[in-house]
Amino acid sequence: MYKKTNRFDHDTNAIIANEGSYIIRIMDNAFIPFDPANTDYQAYLEWVAEGNTPEAADE
Amino acid sequence: MTVSINGTTGITTPTYGGSVSAEYIIPVTGFKNRIINGAMVIDQRNAGALINPAIANYTVDRWQYYQSQTSKGSIGQNAGAITPPTGFTNYLGFTSSSAYSITATDQFFIRQKIEGFNISDLGWGTVNAKTVTLSFWVYSSLTGTFGGALQNSASNRNYPFTYTISSANTWEQKTVTIAGDTTGTWLTTNGNGISLVFSLGTGSTYSATAGAWSSSAFLTSATGATSVVGTNGATFYITGVQLEVGDTATSFDNRSIGQELSLCQRYFEKLNGIVYGSYIGSFGASYSTWFFSTEKRTAPTMNFVGTTGTAQNVSTQSADVFATSTYPRIGAGTTASSEL
Repeated sequence: MYKKTNRFDHDTNAIIANEGSYIIRIMDNAFIPFDPANTDYQAYLEWVAEGNTPEAADE
Repeated sequence: MTVSINGTTGITTPTYGGSVSAEYIIPVTGFKNRIINGAMVIDQRNAGALINPAIANYTVDRWQYYQSQTSKGSIGQNAGAITPPTGFTNYLGFTSSSAYSITATDQFFIRQKIEGFNISDLGWGTVNAKTVTLSFWVYSSLTGTFGGALQNSASNRNYPFTYTISSANTWEQKTVTIAGDTTGTWLTTNGNGISLVFSLGTGSTYSATAGAWSSSAFLTSATGATSVVGTNGATFYITGVQLEVGDTATSFDNRSIGQELSLCQRYFEKLNGIVYGSYIGSFGASYSTWFFSTEKRTAPTMNFVGTTGTAQNVSTQSADVFATSTYPRIGAGTTASSEL
């Protein structure tokens, strides 16, 4: 199970919901960056390809 | 003048009239041993503690333990507290906790994945594929034929191998020479170049004839090899693992502790201190940044411990947390992992 994250915009000091540059692996609260060579990210993409959807980011 | 070099007897010159023992020959090239932490010295994650993971996890740095069934054994640095072989101070030890009869699809093994950049000179997958030699010290309560394998990243090119442990509870050095694979796809990038596997028990589905390249999938051992997990209390200890170019095993490539740690930290690093940021209220947000000791293979997966703030800007060189109404900080024990 995974959860999206928010992004902090440097220019506007605003929180942009669900646009973070990493995904949270809920099992161990790990922050997984969107790097194609990261094996945890590869596992996440496989999980999505199986038809799963990550949870929305915390508000 | 003729200078003869022999991997067993050493160097002989007519002027000197004698020979220099092979153990005193210092390699003149850089990264002779393609295995990192082959002497099992670095253990950032567990600091010597044993692990028994649900499926797979890392024990000493760069070495992953995999088990297809839970609770069949434990593994860790210097488990069993025996004396390592001469010249070594550490080993990786596995102890079986049951007499498990493996099924056809079971796999229990210790594995290190070698980054493609570090085997890019081998020419595997081409007609110029170089021969490599694997050497290691092993100690087990069992005797007989044991197995392992080399694999490519897709696990569709596999080389099962065997070695024999002759005496129980005795350190023995083993050598396996492998002709490089002239076919298949072998990554020479920051992906998985070669996986080296030492089997602790492998079912028939993932076993095949030793000593030949195979395109069968996910082979991790040789047919008929001993199952360590099949005997309750059986031990399997290993150290001094070296994979080098050539058809002869040479002396172990002893690196400085700083070099070895740095090599390990390309794949995993643990923060031992605390990184504080300063709070600038009028700005709206402030950052705490951990600059890694070693640049990572990829942007790493972060596990924050004792951290205040929200993670952002994770790269191969650093990781940030930011906070808008307090002092951000990254706590001791936080880890960055970019394992293969």
